[in-house]
Amino acid sequence: MLSVAMRKTPLLTIALLAAASLTACGGGGASDAISFNSASCGGTWALAKPGWHTFDLYNADDVGGEIDLINPRTSGIYAEVDQLGPGTTQTMSLDAGSGSYAFRCLFDDADPMTGPTVTVPGHVKGFAPTVPVTYNDLVGPEKEYHAYVAAGLQTLVGQTETLAGDVQRGNLTAARRDWLPAHLTYETLGAAYDAFGNFDDEIDGRADALGVNNPQWAGFYRLEYGLWHGQSAGELTPYAEGLAANVRALLASWPSDEIPLIDIGLRTHEIMENALEFQLTGHDDYGSGTTLATTLANIQGDRELLSLLHPLLVTRYPGLSGVQEWLSRLQALLEAQRQPDGTWVSVSQLPVSARQDIDAACGQALQELAPIASIAEPRNT
Amino acid sequence: MGEQGKLPGRRSFLRGMAGGVAGGVVAGGAAGYALHASQPDPVLAADTAALEGRLPAVPFHGKYQAGIVPPPQRATAVVSFDATADGKSELTDLFHTITSRARFLTAGGTPPPVGIDGPASDSGVLGPTVVPDGLTVTLGVGSTLFDDRYGLASQLPARLTPMQPFPNDDLDPAQTGGDLVLQLSAGNADAVLHALRDIAKHTRGGMQINWRIDGFSSPARPAGTVPRNLLGFMDGVSNPPLSEARELLWIQAGTAGEPEWTANGSYFVVRLIRMFVEFWDRVDVYEQQQMFGRDRAKGFPLDADSLYATPDFAADPTGSVIPLNAHMRLANPRTPQTAPSRILRRAYNYDRGIDQVGDLDQGLVFTCFQQDVKRQFEAVQTRLIGEPLVDYISPFGGGYFLALPGIRDTADWYGRALLT
Repeated sequence: MLSVAMRKTPLLTIALLAAASLTACGGGGASDAISFNSASCGGTWALAKPGWHTFDLYNADDVGGEIDLINPRTSGIYAEVDQLGPGTTQTMSLDAGSGSYAFRCLFDDADPMTGPTVTVPGHVKGFAPTVPVTYNDLVGPEKEYHAYVAAGLQTLVGQTETLAGDVQRGNLTAARRDWLPAHLTYETLGAAYDAFGNFDDEIDGRADALGVNNPQWAGFYRLEYGLWHGQSAGELTPYAEGLAANVRALLASWPSDEIPLIDIGLRTHEIMENALEFQLTGHDDYGSGTTLATTLANIQGDRELLSLLHPLLVTRYPGLSGVQEWLSRLQALLEAQRQPDGTWVSVSQLPVSARQDIDAACGQALQELAPIASIAEPRNT
Repeated sequence: MGEQGKLPGRRSFLRGMAGGVAGGVVAGGAAGYALHASQPDPVLAADTAALEGRLPAVPFHGKYQAGIVPPPQRATAVVSFDATADGKSELTDLFHTITSRARFLTAGGTPPPVGIDGPASDSGVLGPTVVPDGLTVTLGVGSTLFDDRYGLASQLPARLTPMQPFPNDDLDPAQTGGDLVLQLSAGNADAVLHALRDIAKHTRGGMQINWRIDGFSSPARPAGTVPRNLLGFMDGVSNPPLSEARELLWIQAGTAGEPEWTANGSYFVVRLIRMFVEFWDRVDVYEQQQMFGRDRAKGFPLDADSLYATPDFAADPTGSVIPLNAHMRLANPRTPQTAPSRILRRAYNYDRGIDQVGDLDQGLVFTCFQQDVKRQFEAVQTRLIGEPLVDYISPFGGGYFLALPGIRDTADWYGRALLT
């Protein structure tokens, strides 16, 4: 643990050097301004020696664009300015080591363009560029994740029909038993919720804005609330049937739904951000006290994404082992709270130290996951 | 003003540290009681610097932690953590990480860019360059760190226990104790919170916040006096001089019963004290002054005509001027017998919303440092049991900690002597 913290220690040195040599470098300013337009990607510019440099990038064109500083041989990106508006200037900082540098311009509605190559001689180590992940790279993972979701929804159809049957027959004991596996299945599909559109609200919406007595509130949490607050089978039947119907409809529409490629990397930390915000706080406990189990389901869904992204990340993200280590640690801490009879306790009933261990592990896992969104963001090359 | 050079209890501490601490802070404290000075008022200068967020860096390295001796800064946060590190090796990593972050944050600098490799390395709360703003980081350990988790039981400081509840206390377990305490102080609240976020971000797996409170120190009003607490009285007028730090403040190497690693550390007591300010404001000033033993407007002891005058309790054996149970008199009776119990007070005000009846939740983040928590804080607090002021205050949390020895140099780290 804390391998991430230790790994980051060298940054301190870098930061101090930065403070010192930025000044020596002339502190950026007009002399380092580099002008871009759709005909000239950086023009003539120089990188006389290794060390810290700050450039002012000026967009002289009348359209916006993205400016990357790349290694022209590998297409690795040292630094990027995502959106350089027409007529505006943004700053780019770089610890330049020995190697090749060129600007690449992606002006709106124009073909990508790479400017002249600048070489820093010698053997000085600098900031290592990262080869960008492309849209193409993510098509395969998206297909596989799409199939994973389809399989999950197929399972969920059966589970929600069982649950609806329990409620229709008035067997609420069975309904309370069958509610959890169904909900957990849904909770393993965390990267697809946006792609589900309104179905997500219908299937797993919170009472937050509506209030628990609002008839518009429907889905798993609505059923949980009723099943664990003494509501009658008659009152809950429409909600149980509605849930099963929505899951069937979602499964039917799923083949034509697409997951935005940017979501594949982004959700790796967002799934666990939501677990921390809504499950580990107990916010989404509507009576069953199973948010620890939900967090485990979220981890399972996150692992699916990570496994699909693994080939892309393993060469780009040195912290990947930390991700696995901390998710495993969190998983073990959660599983340790499963009662011998298979039931769960609510987070509010956990001893303080157990809760601290879980929250700390989740927090560290999130720190480790955070860079993936940026690294696995699809980029034009 | 003739007494200025004579009895500057608080100022002595400040003068003594002038070599080690940033100029602005020193100048602020060293001004003393100089309302009519014709030169630019250094207190005002320091206040202005603090407000503009440009206090210089306080050197991080030294024999002692740098945040203990300086007078209260404008903003502070006292944060208690429980260690979640798994075993001694991870605990060691945790202390290394806190050290690295504190070293950077107190010095300031430009956070490194990350390219496309992740989110920004800094929160940006202080802008593109991290300014030091006089930040100090003070790290302490609580007795619970020495349980069976890390194999440190044999290293437990002799006088470190859980905080003892006193008769007027109403301690909330959720706001009391902790394995570690971090006090972050700076010229402005943004620098304090920036540092807290940075340290927490780099230590998520290793420790978890247990409780926290933010505090502030007011400017001296009038300028040149001493900052006031929220009862309207100047707080911490009388502190022992730095010349007595060996006897009162720092744990000395070879102290009987103390493990060697504690040398140059200091016992760090935190008391979170609610003040019932509405009730207090319904009490007449005469009675308020009798409870403290000082004049509310000027801060003078009731038997004297200057701020730093030593009250002459011997000349008032029946308490006709300063009652025998006045806070000032019980806390420091000014006798040879009680001199070894003096503490270095470093109190901040807190203000955090309202209580169940709509009254303001305001009070004091009382912190003090000393060589021996039994001989000093507990002796003082024992004398204060039943003082008239207890009707207007309620201690509800805090803890006993040991502020670690200083970080000597770039190779040193918090807890090195404890963990190696």
